[in-house]
Order: sequence, then C-alpha cells, then structure tokens
Amino acid sequence: MIKIKNLTKFYGTNSRGVLDLSLEVKEGEIFGFIGPNGAGKSTTVRTLLNLIYPTRGGAEIDGMDCVKDSNKIKKIVGYIPSEIHFYNEMSVKKFLDYSFGFHQKIDHEYIEDLIKTFDLDTSKKIGSLSLGNKKKLAIIQALGHRPKLLILDEPTSGLDPLMQHTFFEVLLQEKKRGTTIFFSSHVLSEVQKVCDRVGIIKDGSLVRIESVKNIISNQSKKIKIKTTKKITKTEAMIDFKMNNNQYTFLYKDSLNHLIKLLSSYDIEDLIIEEPSLEEIFMDYYESKEKT
Amino acid sequence: MKNIIKHEFKRNFRSFVLWTSIISGLSIMMLLLFPAFENSMGDLLETLEGYPAGFLEAFGLGEGGLDMGNIYGWYGVEGYLFVLLIGGSYAAVLGSSILSKEEDEKTIEFLLTKPVSRTKIIFGKIFVIILNLFLLNLVMSIVLIISFVLFGEFDFLVWALFSFAPLLHQFFFASIAFFISVFITKSRTVMSVSLGLVIGLYVVEIISKLTDSAEFLKYITPYEYVNAVDIVKNNNIQGIYLLISFAVISISFALAWVFYNKKDITT
Repeated sequence: MIKIKNLTKFYGTNSRGVLDLSLEVKEGEIFGFIGPNGAGKSTTVRTLLNLIYPTRGGAEIDGMDCVKDSNKIKKIVGYIPSEIHFYNEMSVKKFLDYSFGFHQKIDHEYIEDLIKTFDLDTSKKIGSLSLGNKKKLAIIQALGHRPKLLILDEPTSGLDPLMQHTFFEVLLQEKKRGTTIFFSSHVLSEVQKVCDRVGIIKDGSLVRIESVKNIISNQSKKIKIKTTKKITKTEAMIDFKMNNNQYTFLYKDSLNHLIKLLSSYDIEDLIIEEPSLEEIFMDYYESKEKT
Repeated sequence: MKNIIKHEFKRNFRSFVLWTSIISGLSIMMLLLFPAFENSMGDLLETLEGYPAGFLEAFGLGEGGLDMGNIYGWYGVEGYLFVLLIGGSYAAVLGSSILSKEEDEKTIEFLLTKPVSRTKIIFGKIFVIILNLFLLNLVMSIVLIISFVLFGEFDFLVWALFSFAPLLHQFFFASIAFFISVFITKSRTVMSVSLGLVIGLYVVEIISKLTDSAEFLKYITPYEYVNAVDIVKNNNIQGIYLLISFAVISISFALAWVFYNKKDITT
C-alpha cells in the first residue's frame, strides 16, 4: 500500500528531516511508525501527503506517485493530524459538509453513525469545542469517505482513556474492513495495542522494522523481585534497578537459568512479565549505542 | 473548485459587506454635498486660485483639469479618491489574507489533505477576489448612476469608467498582495506590507504631480493609471497604463500560482 523509496528531505541547509528512508507498508496492516519527537516522523507523513516535496527519493501509495498523483491519492486517504487546526468560526455540521464536499461519493449514513459513535454535537462552533471533541471531529472527517489508507500522526493526544479505547476499537474495525493504517507515534505502548508491525525511526533514519509479536516473544522478560538478600547483577540483566529490597530488571537469558539462580534466595515476591515496547526499544537503543 | 469558491465567498462575505458599505456610504455622502456647494462654487474656486499650481495639479484641479462646478468634476475631486484609497485598501487586505490565512491559522494542513489540487485552491481564491471586487464596483456603479442622473447630465462613458476603472486599481493591489502572501504567511505582516503599498503609491502619485522632474514616477503608480482627469476630460484610460496594469496583475497571479505549487507547507 505504501512504498517509501530512499526518501531524503532536508529543510534548508542545517535542519534535518529524513535521510534515505525506505519502507513498505502492506495492504490491510496497521503499521506503527515509532520514534522520539524530531526523529522525522512528521516529515515522512507530510511527504506522503505532498504537503512537502522530497529532496531525493520518493514514495508511492497504492501504486500512485506521492507528488504526481497526489490528488488521486487524497481520494483514498484519510488523515488525522497531531494538532487540530480547523475553521473555528464554522459549525461542526458546515465543516463536515465542506470537508466531504471535496469527495464525490459519500456514505451519509456512515457519517451519521460515526457522529453517534463519538457523541459529537454538530450544531456547535468548532472554536468552542474541547480538545477531545476537536479530535473526534478530526477522526470523523478522516473516516467519513471510507478511505483505503488512514494516516495518523500522534492521533491520541488529547483523548481521554475512554475515548482512546473507542478510538482503538474504531481502528480495529477499520482494519477488519481492510483499511491499511499508518500510525505514527512516540508512545510505544499505544502502538503495541493495535499494530501488526513497527518501524523505528531515529535521527531521520529507519533503525529497524519488526512485527510486534516477534519483538515481544523474542525479547527479554521483565522481572520484579522482592528479597532480603542482595542480588548481584549478571550480564543477562539489563536496566538493573534496586530500591530497598525491590529489584527490577530485564532478563535476556533463559528463564530456567534465572530460576536456578534465584533458588538460593529467600523470595518474598516474584513477578515475571512482558516488557512494554518502550522498555524493549530502550534496551535496543542502549545496546546499539554500546556497539 | 466550486466547494472552495462557495466556502471562501461565505467566509469573506461579512468583510465584503463592511468595506462596500464604507466605500459606497462615503461616496454617497460626498455626492450629496454637491448641490450645497454648486451654488457657492464661485467662492470656492476663488479660494483655490490662491493655492500653488503643483498642489492643484495633484488634485486634478490644475490647468485643463477638473471643473468642480459639475457633478463629474466634483466626484472626481471629492469622492473618487476615497474610492481608490479605501477600495485599494480593501483589495490589499483581501489579497493578503485569503491565502495566507490558511497557513497562518494552519488550516492549510486540512485543506491540502483533501482531494483538491493546489492549482484549484489558488484559482478558487483568485476567483473570489475578482468576484468580491467586481461586486463592490457593481454597487458603486448603482450609487453613481443614481447620483449622476439626479445631479447632472448623464454621460454613459464617464459613468462606466468611474464605476469600473477602480477595478483595475484594486486588482493591481490585490494581485501583488496575493503574490507576497505566498512567501510571507503571517497574515498581519502581509497586510501591513500591502497597505503600505496602497498609501505609498498614493504618495508617489502626488510627488509625480508636484515636480516635473519626478513625472516619470507616474508609470509606477496605479492612481495615475485610472486618474479622474483622463476619465472626465478624455473619457479613457491610456493604453500604456492598461498594458502595465494587465501585465502586473497577470504576472503577480501567475507567479503566485507557480511558486505556491512548488512550496513546502511547513506550518
């Protein structure tokens, strides 16, 4: 669905955008695009939407060139920006009419459904909406024309946990319908919930692409132990923290080894859990930097 | 493109009504003063004779200039200048804001992610500028036809020129402002620059009249292109001025389109 080929974008001479980025997103998958702020996520998204022009390389969406066929691409794309800037003086209803007025075929019933799902008052002026309600409006204007590809740039900022939950439900529903989703975020845990694969971008370059399942199953476990005897850190323990008698670390070796090691300890409490993507990637970044 | 035109027209309608009321209201006021002055015109002209020739020239009252004793001359001196100055300001404000507002308020991110090309956005907005300015002058043409019929002998050509020559002057400022707004996206800054141009070129017009050595300056000021003396005395706009205006207007709009299509939107 998305093919990014050797995309390079510089702003002026000093400011960095992205460097030689290549990446493919398959049809029907939810692809998480993860990286810290300033890593080049928005630059990539803006190039896909032809808000900015690539310095070198380029990208295709559904076989169409992001620069030359931008107009056709936008017919099949829905976009939710990180910060919402709509026409404050317009009412929600008029804004939606304007927004969908650019599309030829619109399923009005579906839009009504979306408005009901997100419980949005369409008579209100956009300027008077809360941040959360503006976000809901952004979601509706992006979904109403039933796009084949959804591009999301930090979509959950400003949504309360309940709305976040609804939002993820909607994303999974869209996925069932066959919609491809490109989900850019710096919060790894939210991506973990819905994404199939994850690409990590750092300093404008793609560091790694991995399926979420793989990352979680092949990686270390998160261990929390409460014991009175001091635990000596071994090489398999990463991100080792000690607080009173409480120890937490990521364990990279076989769990059998750990159990053997711990058998000599007087253990008050032991928790073994999957680390969050954040922790996995911290681990990844750290080991990368050491080598 | 229809969608954009409708949206922009509605968005700018209130400001259109306001500016049109000010311009037509002021003109009506000045035109209504004519009967009162008509009878005492002799005294007024006598007073004016004491002024330096350059000064009178600047107001179209020099030798071979306007006769304030008839309604066309009166309007040419007392009303037309306001139409040019305020109409020019409206054109500058409209041209400055219609495009830059989208970037200033960051709504461009929304607009450009809809299936509409930048070309359509540019032409839709230019169309709304042209439409608004045309409507403004249409209202003025009605005000003028009533006044001219009431207060004098109706002369079609002078009426038509007084009604629609300001369009040329307004397009001149609107197109330059529009062009600038492709590069400077802060609406307020573009507006200041273009309003400065509206006032600045009026000053240039006066300077070009005051001294012979500065006469060449008349080619760069649109106040001269559509001056009242040419309209009332010669019933025309000079060809060279028409040519310059059309060139400036079409080049400004065309370059705005070319550069806008290539620019990065980095709000």
